[in-house]
Amino acid sequence: MHPNETGSVVGIVSPQPLRVRIGWEDIRKRFSLYVGGVMVVFVLLGALFAPFFTPYSPIQQNYSAVLQGVSMAHWLGTDNLGRDTFTRLLFGARTSMEVTIGSALLGVVVGVPIGLLSGFYQGWFDDLILMRIIDALQAFPFLILALVLAAMLGPGIRNAAIAIGIGYIPIFVRTVRGQVLKEKNKEYIEAARMTGCRSSRLMIVHLLPNIMTPLLVQITLAIANGIVTEASLGYLGLSAQPPTASWGSMLQVAQGYISTDPLMAIAPGLAIVFAVLGFNLLGDGLQSRLNKRQV
Amino acid sequence: MGMRKRSKYFAVSTLALLSLGTITACGTSTSTTSPPSSPAVNTSNQTLNIGLSADPPTLDPAYSSALVDRQVMFNLYDTLFQLSSKNTIIPDLVKSYTVSPDGLTYTLQLHQHVKFQDGTPFNAAAVKFNLTRDMQPASARHSSLADVTNVTTPSTYTVVIQLKKPLSPLPAILAGRAGMMVSPTAVQKEGSNYPNDPVGTGPFEFKSRVKGSTIKLVRNPHYWRAEPKLSAVTYRIFTDPNVELTNLQSGAVQIVDTVPPQQVSSMEQNSNFTVVNHTGLGYEGVYLNVKQGPFTNLFLRQAVNLAINRQTLVNVALKGVATPANSPFSAASPVYNAQEDVPPTASTSEMKRLLSEGGKPHGFSFTLQSANDPVTTQVDQIMQSMLAQYGIQMKIEQLDFGTLLANNEAHNFQASFLGWSGRLDPDQNVYSFFYKNGALNASQFVNAQADTLLNQARQESSMAQRAKTYAAFVQIIQQQVPYVFLYHQNNVFAYAKTVQGFHYYSDGVIRAYGLSLS
Amino acid sequence: MAYAAKRLVTMIPVLIFLSIIVFSLIHLIPGNPAQVILGQDASPSSIRALEMQLGLNLPLPEQYLSWLGGILHGNLGRSLLDNQPVSQLILQSLPVTAELAVGTIIVAIAIAFPLGILAAVYRDRWADAVTLFVSTIGISVPPFWLGMIFLIEFTVRVHWFPSSGYEPLWSHPLRNLSVMTLPILATGFREAGVLLRMLRASLLDVLDQDFIRTARAKGISGWKVIFHHATKNALIPVITTGGLQIAGLLGGIVITETIFSLPGFGSLLVESVFSRDYTTIQGTALVAALAVVVVNLLVDITYGLVDPRMRK
Repeated sequence: MHPNETGSVVGIVSPQPLRVRIGWEDIRKRFSLYVGGVMVVFVLLGALFAPFFTPYSPIQQNYSAVLQGVSMAHWLGTDNLGRDTFTRLLFGARTSMEVTIGSALLGVVVGVPIGLLSGFYQGWFDDLILMRIIDALQAFPFLILALVLAAMLGPGIRNAAIAIGIGYIPIFVRTVRGQVLKEKNKEYIEAARMTGCRSSRLMIVHLLPNIMTPLLVQITLAIANGIVTEASLGYLGLSAQPPTASWGSMLQVAQGYISTDPLMAIAPGLAIVFAVLGFNLLGDGLQSRLNKRQV
Repeated sequence: MGMRKRSKYFAVSTLALLSLGTITACGTSTSTTSPPSSPAVNTSNQTLNIGLSADPPTLDPAYSSALVDRQVMFNLYDTLFQLSSKNTIIPDLVKSYTVSPDGLTYTLQLHQHVKFQDGTPFNAAAVKFNLTRDMQPASARHSSLADVTNVTTPSTYTVVIQLKKPLSPLPAILAGRAGMMVSPTAVQKEGSNYPNDPVGTGPFEFKSRVKGSTIKLVRNPHYWRAEPKLSAVTYRIFTDPNVELTNLQSGAVQIVDTVPPQQVSSMEQNSNFTVVNHTGLGYEGVYLNVKQGPFTNLFLRQAVNLAINRQTLVNVALKGVATPANSPFSAASPVYNAQEDVPPTASTSEMKRLLSEGGKPHGFSFTLQSANDPVTTQVDQIMQSMLAQYGIQMKIEQLDFGTLLANNEAHNFQASFLGWSGRLDPDQNVYSFFYKNGALNASQFVNAQADTLLNQARQESSMAQRAKTYAAFVQIIQQQVPYVFLYHQNNVFAYAKTVQGFHYYSDGVIRAYGLSLS
Repeated sequence: MAYAAKRLVTMIPVLIFLSIIVFSLIHLIPGNPAQVILGQDASPSSIRALEMQLGLNLPLPEQYLSWLGGILHGNLGRSLLDNQPVSQLILQSLPVTAELAVGTIIVAIAIAFPLGILAAVYRDRWADAVTLFVSTIGISVPPFWLGMIFLIEFTVRVHWFPSSGYEPLWSHPLRNLSVMTLPILATGFREAGVLLRMLRASLLDVLDQDFIRTARAKGISGWKVIFHHATKNALIPVITTGGLQIAGLLGGIVITETIFSLPGFGSLLVESVFSRDYTTIQGTALVAALAVVVVNLLVDITYGLVDPRMRK
C-alpha cells in the first residue's frame, strides 16, 4: 500500500556543503517508530484501561448536564445526553480497537494461508481463479463492500469486524503472495528444499518468518485504515450499537449540533486522527527498519 | 422511521377539529368550491426554492409511500377532495357530491373544462381509470380503497363509487394520494416510465429532475383556476436537516420542510424567518410483539409502558418540540381525548407489582429494533436507561429502513420502534394498526372487542359519535398495550419573510399555488 | 497490444465474478424493493403482487441470467424504484464524482509536487522530516470528518461557501465551483499526503541511479538535475501506483458526497443499497468496478511498456 518511504542512505552527493548532523539522522530514522509506538500504546492503554482514567460512566445519562462546554469537571464537555465526552472517547477507543484488531485478525487468519499456498504453488488455479476473485473483491470500493456486508449481517461490533475483515482478506493474500514469490527462489529456500524439507515445513518454518516484517507493516497499516472505516460504518449506524460509545456514532450525533456545539464533532475526529496517525507512523517506522535490514 | 422519519408529517392546526363532520354526514350534504377571486394574468418571473429533507422516491401517487413525495405531488396534481387551510375536507376536482342514506354509494359531480397538463380532458373516465389503477393489488393505495367494490361513470362528468361497507373516511382518503388524478393518456403512453414524466391537472407541471439533487416544476399556463403567481418551483434535496437549515439562512432556499428540534428556538428568535410549529397527527412508539416472548406476557407489556417517562423523553431528545402521548390521537385530531392522552406516571411499587405478576420480579431483557437516525438514537438510549432503573435490560439494534420493514412484516422482533406520520381521519391512524391481521398490525394483536369498535366507528357518521367509540377503543389498547405510544411529532417549517401568502395546512404539505415572493 | 488484449480477456471473468458476488450479497440483505416501495402500511398481498410485477418472484439464477443477458446487449436495466434507466442514473451522477475525483487529484498534485521535490532535495534534513510528518497527518485525517470541520468553519460560521445545491459545471460554472471547493479540498488533502509520500520515495530511488550521479558529476546543479532528469523518471512509478489509488478514492468519496449532499455516484450507490434497488446496485457496482479494472489495466500496460520483463 505504501511504497518505500525512506529510500536508502547509500552515499549521495549532497547539493549543499556538509553540515554537522550528529544524532539527527538517528532520531529521524527512529522518529516514526518511537512516536508512532508511543501513540499506539496510548490508544491501546486507553482502550484497555478506560475505566481507570475517568470517574464517569460512558453510558450513565445526566439530563441536567447536557451539552456543557469545556470545564475542569468535563475536559471535553458533555454530549446531548449529558455524558462526559472524554470518557466516551476512551471507551470509543475500545470499540475502535475491538473492531479493527478483530478485522485484522480475520484478514490474517484467512488471508495469510491463502497467500502462502497460492504463492508457493501458483499454477492455473492461482492465476485464473483465485487471483481473479481477489481482483474482483478489490475492484469493489472497500467501504461499499463493508457497508453491504454490515447491512447483510446486521449491525454490531462483531459484524462490523467481520465486514471490514472480509475486505482485508484480498490485501493480505496479495501481500503474502507477493513476498512468497520474492522469497521462494532465494538460496536459503533452495537449500532447505535440497535437504528434503517437506513443502508444509518449508512454508511454515522457513518462508513465514521471513515475511513477518512486511506482514507486520501491513497489519499496522490495515489497522490505521480500519479505524477510519469503522468510524465511517459507525457514522452510518452500522458499527457498535448504542449506548456503546464509538467514534463514528459520536460523529453522527454531533452532526446535528454542528452549528451550536462544534466540540462534539471536533473531539471524536481528533481522537480518530490521533489513533490513525499513531498506527501510520508505527507502520512507517517498521517499514524503514525493514528496508535497513534489506540493504 | 428511517428516511421517512425525516419526511413530513401530517398535522393539524388547533383551529382544525370537528369541521370534518360536515363532509362525513350521510344523506344529502353537498358543497361546491368557488373559483379564486383574483384571475389577474400572471407575468411574474419568480422561482421559489423549497428545501426537502429527503429525496422523493416517486412522483406516481399509485406507488408512493414516502411522505415527502406529497410535497411535490400536491403541487403537480389536484385531488378529488382537498384539505382546506381551515382543516376541513372540501371538494376540489369534485364540484359537488351526494352520499346515499346507507352510506354505500357516493355520487360525484366533476368540474368541467379541466384539462391535464398534456392537454387531454379530465372527466369521469379519467377518475375511473385512476381509481381502478389505485385499486390494483400492487398499488400502494390498494389497502385504503379495499372497500370500494365498483366505480361507474353514468355520464361524462358523473362518477359513482360503490362500497362494500360504510366508510366515513372516504372523502378524506380521496383528499390524499388516492384522490390524485394522473393523466390516463400519459400513463398509457409512458407505461412504467410514467413516474419520470408525471402529468396531472395541478398548478405546476413537471419540468426536470436530477435524482438526489433537484426537482423542477414550472407554472401550468392552462391551469383551470387562476394562474399561479410563481413561475417556477424548485425543490432542493438535502440529506441532512442541519445543512438544509444552513441553506435557508444563506438564502439558497426560501422554505424548509423541517427544522431540527435543537434549532427551533434560535430560529424563532431570528427576525428574518417565520417558524411554523404545530402538533402533528402522528405518533411515535414501540410495537410489542404479543406472539413472541417476553411480550406474550401482558404484565411485562404494561411494565414497559409504565416505565417510560414521556415528558423527559420529549424534553431531552426533542427539546420539547413534540407532545408526550398515550393514545393514537393528538390534540390535532378531531377525536382527541385529552384525558386519555396523558401518559402514565411510574411508581416503584406499581412497577414491582407488574414485574412480579409477570413472573420476572428481578426484571428481564429484550431487544428493540429501531431506525438509526440521530433523534431515534437518542430516544432509544433514554428509554434504555429508564427501563434499566427497574431491571429491564433493553438491547438496541439499529437497522436500515428496508430491514426494519422486512422484520415488521415478518413479525420478526420482540419490540420495534416505528411510528406513524398520521392522517386527518382517525380511522387511518388506528384501523390497520390494531385490527386483526391489519397491514400495520406488526404486534399481531387480536382483540374481538377492539375490532368491533373499529368497524363501528367506520359506520358512524357524526364525529362526536366516533370520538366516543374511539375513546372506548383506546381504553382497550391502553390496557392490552400492543403498542407503547411515546409522543406526537410536531410539524415544523421555517420560511423567509420574503415569502408571501403562506398558509399552514395540517397535512404538512407546502402548497406553492398561493405563494409569491416580495 | 497482444499483452493488452490478453489482459482484457482475463478481465471478463473478474467482472463476472464481481457481478455474482454483488448479486448474491444484495439478495442476502433482508428486505426487498417491493416492501420499500409500498412502505410500512402495505399489506402482504400488495407486496407479493408488486414482487410479481417486478419479477422478484423468479428464481434467483433466472433473475441473474436475465440481468446478465441485458448487460451483454449493452443494457444495464431499469431502476426497480422509479424505472429510470440505470445507465441514465449513472450518467447523471458520474460527472459529479468525476469532477470530485479530478479536482481531488489536481489539489493533490498541487500540494504534493512542490513539497515532494522539496523533501527529496533536502532528504534527511528538517524540511524533509517536517514534510513527511505533515503528509502522514494528511493521510490520517478522515476526509469525511475534515468535510464536517469545513462545514462548521466555512459555511456555518463564516458564509464563504454554500453547503449544497449542486449544479453542473457547464451550465452554472461559478455555482458549481463554489459548491465543489470544500468537498474537493476535504478529499484532496488526504490524497496529497499519499501522493507526496509516493513521489518522495520515487524521487529518492531515481536520485540514487547512475545517470543522475553522472549528471551531477558533470557539474549540473542540484535543482537542474531534479527538474530535468529526476522528476521525469520518478513520475512513471508515481502515476502507475497513483492509478491504484482510484478504487480507494472512490470509496472515500462516498461519505464525502453524503456530508455535502452531492448527487454523485457514491450517494447513488448508498441510496440504492438502502432502498434495495437491485438493478441500480448491480449496474453502479459494475461500472465502479469497470472503472477500477480499466485503470488497473492501464497501469499494468504502462508497467509493461516501461519494463518489458513484466510482459509475461
